[in-house]
Amino acid sequence: MHLSRPRLWRSRSAQRLGVQAIFGSVVALLLLYAVSRAAQLDMDFGFLRGPAGFTIANDWVFSYQSNESRLTAYLVGVWNTVRLVVVGILLATLLGVVAGVARLSGNWLVARLATLYVEAVRNTPLLVQIVFWWLAVFLTLPQIAEQRGLFGIVFVSNRALALPWLAPRGLAALWLLVVLAGLVAGWLVRRARLAREERTGLPARAGLWGAATALLIAGVGFVATGLPLEPNTPEIIRSGTNIQRYEGGLSITPQFAAVLIALVTYTGTFIAEIVRGSIQALPKGQSEAAAALGLSSYQRMTLIVLPQALRTMIPPLTNQFLNLNKNSSLAVVVGYSELFFISTVVINNAGHAVPMFVLVIGTYQVLNLMISAGMNYLNARVQLVGH
Amino acid sequence: MAAQASAPRVDGRVRRPWSVRARRWAHDNLFGDAWNAALTVVTALLLVAGVLLLARFVFRTADWTVIETNRRLLTIGRYPAGEEWRLWPPLWALLGVGGLSFGLWIPLGVRGYAVAAGVTAFLYLLLLEGNNAALFGVGVALAVAVYAGTRAWVVGSRAEPRVRVAAIVGMALLLPLVVLMLQLGDGVRTSLWSGFLLNVTLATVGIALGFPLGVMLALGRASSYPVIRWTATGYIEVVRAGPLVAWLFMARFVLPDFLPPVAGLDELDIVARAMLVLAGFTGAYVAEVVRGGLQSLPRGQFEAAQAVGLNALQTTWLIVLPQALRAVIPALVSQFISLWKDTTLVFALGLIELLGAGEATLSQTDFIGREKEVLAFVALAFWAIAFGMSRLSLRVERTLSVGAS
Repeated sequence: MHLSRPRLWRSRSAQRLGVQAIFGSVVALLLLYAVSRAAQLDMDFGFLRGPAGFTIANDWVFSYQSNESRLTAYLVGVWNTVRLVVVGILLATLLGVVAGVARLSGNWLVARLATLYVEAVRNTPLLVQIVFWWLAVFLTLPQIAEQRGLFGIVFVSNRALALPWLAPRGLAALWLLVVLAGLVAGWLVRRARLAREERTGLPARAGLWGAATALLIAGVGFVATGLPLEPNTPEIIRSGTNIQRYEGGLSITPQFAAVLIALVTYTGTFIAEIVRGSIQALPKGQSEAAAALGLSSYQRMTLIVLPQALRTMIPPLTNQFLNLNKNSSLAVVVGYSELFFISTVVINNAGHAVPMFVLVIGTYQVLNLMISAGMNYLNARVQLVGH
Repeated sequence: MAAQASAPRVDGRVRRPWSVRARRWAHDNLFGDAWNAALTVVTALLLVAGVLLLARFVFRTADWTVIETNRRLLTIGRYPAGEEWRLWPPLWALLGVGGLSFGLWIPLGVRGYAVAAGVTAFLYLLLLEGNNAALFGVGVALAVAVYAGTRAWVVGSRAEPRVRVAAIVGMALLLPLVVLMLQLGDGVRTSLWSGFLLNVTLATVGIALGFPLGVMLALGRASSYPVIRWTATGYIEVVRAGPLVAWLFMARFVLPDFLPPVAGLDELDIVARAMLVLAGFTGAYVAEVVRGGLQSLPRGQFEAAQAVGLNALQTTWLIVLPQALRAVIPALVSQFISLWKDTTLVFALGLIELLGAGEATLSQTDFIGREKEVLAFVALAFWAIAFGMSRLSLRVERTLSVGAS
């Protein structure tokens, strides 16, 4: 008997093809519409070469001038975002680990205090916290004229937190290269000592040797290049009757401080919860076995518990770091000149909103990918081998 | 024996008097060794100092008249006078459905009653007076009556399953009711929705539109049709690349040029556009949460559904989604909490939501320098709802016994 082939609209593959063709053409039409609208408006990045014409309050290292191009201004913004995010990630991780461990502390009061911190800060909007630090804390500091100093070298006012700093001079760049070489040499020495430890079975103090090598090279290089860093304390410069500013030292602006503190304390709560969850997920036997071997509670935590908990911690931590990166854009409300703030200024001055937004989203995506890549590398390093 | 009379045995162990137990507890939890004792003393000093500073601020140095004077601005902002009647029925409905839901699923303990009483007292002390106090009282009475009635007559009765369905339908109808009440007749334009009301509506609309969008995106990302999978993945990844505040600015600067002149889309005001952006943003994040739930389903579920002859739609609707969503309730709730906190971001667009209203009070000449009071109040309002949601989700998790983490 001849089995007739199913009719075309009954055939599974024809159905699949049809559904995808219809869906695909709708999506393609929408995309086409969006792209044609964008092309109609403007999709030209040439305006980035034009002069920016605005000054930037937070420009550290870059000595940006208002007659430089918009692209330069944008890059200053990217740099401001990067330093905010890098410092933020380091401090938030530190705070989060401490708070997460404290929540599991055997000390009832410490555990309660950590819980109070996490529950209070985690459930309050980050933006409210940024505005709070900005308006209610840093702007209420004394004016620069009636500020209080600490030993004449640290100054606190609503203009800036001025700290003593080391200013580079002379062969500073050369010395930096020497330090890098020292780090490489230290790493090589450490590896050699580790190999020796494996060969002989005797403790080789690899970390100590490596650090000593690096420090020695850096120290010798410091003297050899003619002391390229000099201590630099801030001073108040009076120009005119009422105009005062800080010169020298390291000035931390209240914008930067407000955003940094808010980002760190907020992200720290989420990291604390991740740390707590990872530690609790570890079999209790690990900690008990360490106690049976006579390790102190500090040794138990740093040698046994945290290194193992790190494995489960890294993927959710990556997420929090990405959140911190994206949340850094909230600095726009206090006027800290990170990349999003600079973009809004450019859009207000010169228009070109569509290409500017493409650039902004693209930049954040690149930063996200860099964070993810770094964390993936770390993740690959700490996972168990041979499972 | 005499010893037995003074110290009753529990599980064969002697129950010591409370003073001994307290000392033992303090030894175990606070003063185990020198290090712990030092830690306890330092922490206690810090805590006492913190509490004293806070108490001094709340009861002595702070001047709360800025809140009392501006309660209208903070709660409903620029909402037009004479149109307040539109807000009460939705609020009553919310309180009624709330009472019903708590009665059915989350019976209150002593602590629950205390919290409810405390919140009500706080609202009356700081925010409500005159007519509003009476009208709000109607809602509170309704909630209490519905809760008590449900506990007394519905729970355990034959009608309970039907009442549960009614409660869920009621929740689903809340948002349409709000929209209807605000638009009925010569309605209030969305651009005038402001203050705390704006945060609430932004979050509700964000959830109501973003959740279904997210489920569809997650299903699309898991689809066997490559075109659909690529589209969903592309949308999710692009939206997650940028920060929400950038997307919101896009709603202001770019979106008007891209919305087609269809069905009045190009005439949406900034509030409505912000709602669309919040929903689209939440959808991308919900999709990733739901995807986790879909991946946690064992393959056998799909195969079994096929074996009993369910088609793709039935499999998804009856087998896959109920289990996948149940598994991710905790993550979904934390996504909604983060949406709730993110509603403050429209402040960056210059909209007068609660934070914006708070900032507006600071430019009033009477209240210059009241930043701490205003921001503390704003923070408390957001915190209370976010914390309440997280506690509620813990209760729901325990009731459904899901999300063991």
